[in-house]
Amino acid sequence: MYDAPTLERDVTEAKTKFSARNVQVWYGDTHAIKDVSVEIEDKTVTAFIGPSGCGKSTFLRCLNRMNDTIDICRVEGDILLDGEDIYDRHIDPVQLRAKVGMVFQKPNPFPKSIYDNVAYGPKIHGMTRSRAELDETVETALRRAALWDEVKDRLDSPGTGLSGGQQQRLCIARAVATKPEVLLMDEPCSALDPIATAQVEELIDELRARFSVVIVTHSMQQAARVSQKTAFFHLGELVEFGETGHIFTNPEDERTESYITGRIG
Amino acid sequence: MTEQTASDGFDWTSPAFASQLKKRKRSQLRLKLLGLSAIAIAFAMLLLLIGSLMSTGYQAFTQTHIALEVFVDPEEVDADNPERGGYRDILTATMHTQFPEVADDRAALRKLTTVLSNGAQFSIRDAVVADPGLIGQTVTFDVPVSDPYDQLNKGLINRDTPEENRRLKDDEIANFDLLKDRGMVTKPFNIGLFTNADSRFPELAGLKGAIIGSFYALLTCFVLSFPIGIGAAIYLEEFAPRNKLSDLIEININNLAAVPSVVFGLLALAVFLGWFGMPRSAPFVGGMTLALMTLPTIIIATRAALKAVPPSIREAALGVGASKQQVVFGHVLPLAMPGILTGTIIGLAQALGETAPLLLIGMNAFITSAPSTPFDSATALPTQIFIWADSPERGFVSRTSAAILVLLGFLITMNAIAIYLRNKFERKW
Amino acid sequence: MTLFAFLILLVAVVTGYILNLRAARAIRAGGANLHSLDGFHGGFSALVTLVPTFLLIILWLLFQGTIIEALVKASLPSGTLDGLGVGEVQLLMSEIRSIAGGRVFGTPEDWKLAAADHLVSLRATSSWLLVAVTSVMVIGLIYLSRRTVSAEFRARHGFERIVHGLMVACATVAIFVTIGIVASLVFETYRFFQMVPFWDFVLGTSWEPQIPLREDQIAAEGAFGMLPVFLGTLVIAFVAMFIATPIGLLSAIYLHEFASSRVRSVVKPVLEILAGVPTVVYGFFAILVIAPAIRSFGTDLGLPIAPNTALAAGSVMGIMLVPFISSFADDALGAVPRSLRDGSLAVGATQAETISKVLFPAAIPGIVGGILLAVSRAIGETMIVVMAAGLIAKMTINPLDSVTTVTVQIVTLLIGDTAFDSPKTLAAFALGMVLFLMTLIINIFALRIVRKYREIYD
Repeated sequence: MYDAPTLERDVTEAKTKFSARNVQVWYGDTHAIKDVSVEIEDKTVTAFIGPSGCGKSTFLRCLNRMNDTIDICRVEGDILLDGEDIYDRHIDPVQLRAKVGMVFQKPNPFPKSIYDNVAYGPKIHGMTRSRAELDETVETALRRAALWDEVKDRLDSPGTGLSGGQQQRLCIARAVATKPEVLLMDEPCSALDPIATAQVEELIDELRARFSVVIVTHSMQQAARVSQKTAFFHLGELVEFGETGHIFTNPEDERTESYITGRIG
Repeated sequence: MTEQTASDGFDWTSPAFASQLKKRKRSQLRLKLLGLSAIAIAFAMLLLLIGSLMSTGYQAFTQTHIALEVFVDPEEVDADNPERGGYRDILTATMHTQFPEVADDRAALRKLTTVLSNGAQFSIRDAVVADPGLIGQTVTFDVPVSDPYDQLNKGLINRDTPEENRRLKDDEIANFDLLKDRGMVTKPFNIGLFTNADSRFPELAGLKGAIIGSFYALLTCFVLSFPIGIGAAIYLEEFAPRNKLSDLIEININNLAAVPSVVFGLLALAVFLGWFGMPRSAPFVGGMTLALMTLPTIIIATRAALKAVPPSIREAALGVGASKQQVVFGHVLPLAMPGILTGTIIGLAQALGETAPLLLIGMNAFITSAPSTPFDSATALPTQIFIWADSPERGFVSRTSAAILVLLGFLITMNAIAIYLRNKFERKW
Repeated sequence: MTLFAFLILLVAVVTGYILNLRAARAIRAGGANLHSLDGFHGGFSALVTLVPTFLLIILWLLFQGTIIEALVKASLPSGTLDGLGVGEVQLLMSEIRSIAGGRVFGTPEDWKLAAADHLVSLRATSSWLLVAVTSVMVIGLIYLSRRTVSAEFRARHGFERIVHGLMVACATVAIFVTIGIVASLVFETYRFFQMVPFWDFVLGTSWEPQIPLREDQIAAEGAFGMLPVFLGTLVIAFVAMFIATPIGLLSAIYLHEFASSRVRSVVKPVLEILAGVPTVVYGFFAILVIAPAIRSFGTDLGLPIAPNTALAAGSVMGIMLVPFISSFADDALGAVPRSLRDGSLAVGATQAETISKVLFPAAIPGIVGGILLAVSRAIGETMIVVMAAGLIAKMTINPLDSVTTVTVQIVTLLIGDTAFDSPKTLAAFALGMVLFLMTLIINIFALRIVRKYREIYD
């Protein structure tokens, strides 16, 4: 099922980035997230796993307040980023989302050039003062997304013309360009072929040096390969959370065990 | 990869970023306010439109009448030939009895009778013709007053305007006030607006001819466009092979839906009237023209309704051995009917308000009797509005607004029926 | 008589249906196994009778007038029509018609009375002939279809083939309408260009289509240069778009991005009301409220303003187009995938930035298509300009001046009596041709853009 050796990963720094306490989410009358508390550490890859509809994506979207854009969605409880409640009145979702970047399930490059896609965030936030500085930011972001060598000669061609895997890395570059502290990834490989998936997974491992990464995945192998911490969601509840190795070898809850051995989901 | 380690992060708390953010928020607010004001302008215009129509139109729903005691003088009316009586003189005499102080000279007396509508003599004539026994008796008639006095009674003539700029002179106003003081003046609901046909005199003009004309035109339009539209839609949606011809038909229908209505009028004028010699001003021809315009609407709505019926229904019926046509006419069409009807009513409502093509086939003629068949000359509601809007008499301004309110009333009713049908029969598959 | 023919047809259809139905039942009662249900045998007979006979009656009615008239003309004493223009012949024929209808004015010549009598008798003959032909045809068809009834006859196939044919006929009506439009426009326009040179029409800068009042005036003396009319149309359309585009787009942006679903559910129907108001009502609104308002505003500023300015007609037309543009833009914005919006918001863009930098550019083709369709509407819109714009064609682009439009000229040239031989009447068709081509080109272009755009995101 999964590689035992990769489970042994050292967690260098155990500084808490996100800390969620008793989070509840409703979609209209549906109680989508039930009383979830979780601590997400800095410079760590945390994986959310669970069967479809278990609420893992919903919870991820709470972390940068993307749920605000849905009229009927209501969030309760505390989510602290570096000790600050992100649902506090004086927190601006715009600023928050710049700090907490996000990559989506389906690659969604804007119908603009590759360069403009990556420069979009820095430009609107006014992060650079000159064109040269912007060029540098774009290059750095593309390098971090391991895309630079493939696109450096055609920065002006449209981003939608790239292959699926390249598009997804372009989206990662776009998210990285605003120099976020956390990167949320919502099943980033589900629309990619195995080779592109491998490239993105490799990239995630590199990104860990700089950011805290939270990744939602329905593939347990992927969770096992890329993450240090794993949270298992089931029917809106957080069933189990801990070291990835521990969860996969010694699940404490029998629902977790059923899931990773393939009985539910 | 260039290593930049932790200094890499951006300072989100810097004052520069904060002021930048403030600016961005402001431009967000600006866009929001611009959007809101755009909607506000649209709303204000709608309110202004409805408001101005209401405020000018409500006056036309009442009509000033005078109750006159008329002596039907046997010397003026011959019992054997009551149609040809001197009813005008009878009215003059009646008015004279009200104002005995006025000298017995023709001009002065004629001026007195201008209070009454020109139609007053005809309504007395009609009553006498219906019952010749009235000759020689004194009968109370309730007759409409002429337009200027109607305006005066409704407060639309400002008494403070200098006399030379006023349509009614001081003595005329005084006479009318006298009649009013005697309790002869009433202002009942204007039934004539719905029971009279058009007239040169605003106080007599009504919408009967236009409403009937519109009804005939819409009936013709429905009878033609409904079956043809459904037939075409069923063919295109369920039977048509994907070939050049069906593509051509499809492009054609989409383009027809966007052809200016006046071009349909030209078509009707050249083909229906010019080549086939059909009668001018006939609601039947108007209905045919409107049918051509409504056809694309009905076809498009019907196709959407057919598309909404899930394929499982077709497969189930085909599975028990029904022919393709039995499936469509027996199962799909009945399920799609509410949607088709909704689209048809909306199409007919559009046709009801259509004016330009009707003008070109002569449905703006001045016709003082309501049509009795769809082949008689007639006007329609929108063309009647056009005629009245063009008339110089003051009284026609409020009549035009009233006619528009009547037309809008019909449109709202039709749309309400369509919405009701849609909500009642809408099915979620 | 016509009604009688239809009545015969109705009776025949029912009779044919019942006859075949009973025949089929009889065969079934005899123990045979029929291919088709009894009802299909009946329906087959009904359709076989109905369709051709109905067509015959309609064609008869369409063409009897023209044929009878031609016969009457032919029977006139030789030489009467020599040297008469088309208009005079029409006048003569309508005089004969009214004599035939019993409305005799003065003492017409004997040959006119004879022609009227001839007309009356021809009409009577035609009516009787119609009834006779209908009866014979109906009986023949009932007989033929009655003979088909047998156990093997596939009545359902026959029935369905006819229904299929009828549906194809319905679908091709749309093509015939287009052909009708093009044919009538081309035909009359061609006749117009025989009287007025083509280039005088296309490039002429003066439009004065007065009718020649006296005999000695030549018809072509009126000036038929379409440029000022065309220019006036553009001025008014421009004013309308200048008002409708920003209001329509901004309200669509607000509705799409900022409004809660409750606000949307109120605002959208109200905008639809604005779209459903008949144009004649807008026209009256323009002369009742807007034109006086603009005029008094201008007088306050000391500007001389015409009573029927392009501004008044154009701005009311703009209000009419607001819901049109708004709903098109709303659809176009809605067609942009949600993921793009999420992507932009996720890097920390505000909603305004998302709209203006991502959604709007992505939706531009759809929006442009909608705006083009609105332009084509503005050009083809008739009642507002007929009521609120001017009649005199001027070479001006000043919106405070009075201008005229293509549609205004079409309507004013054709209102009242129309003789199909004066350049005045035919000029309306030439203008109609210009209008048709202009809107057609814009529409095809716009529909193509919109369709292409939908394909991108589907």
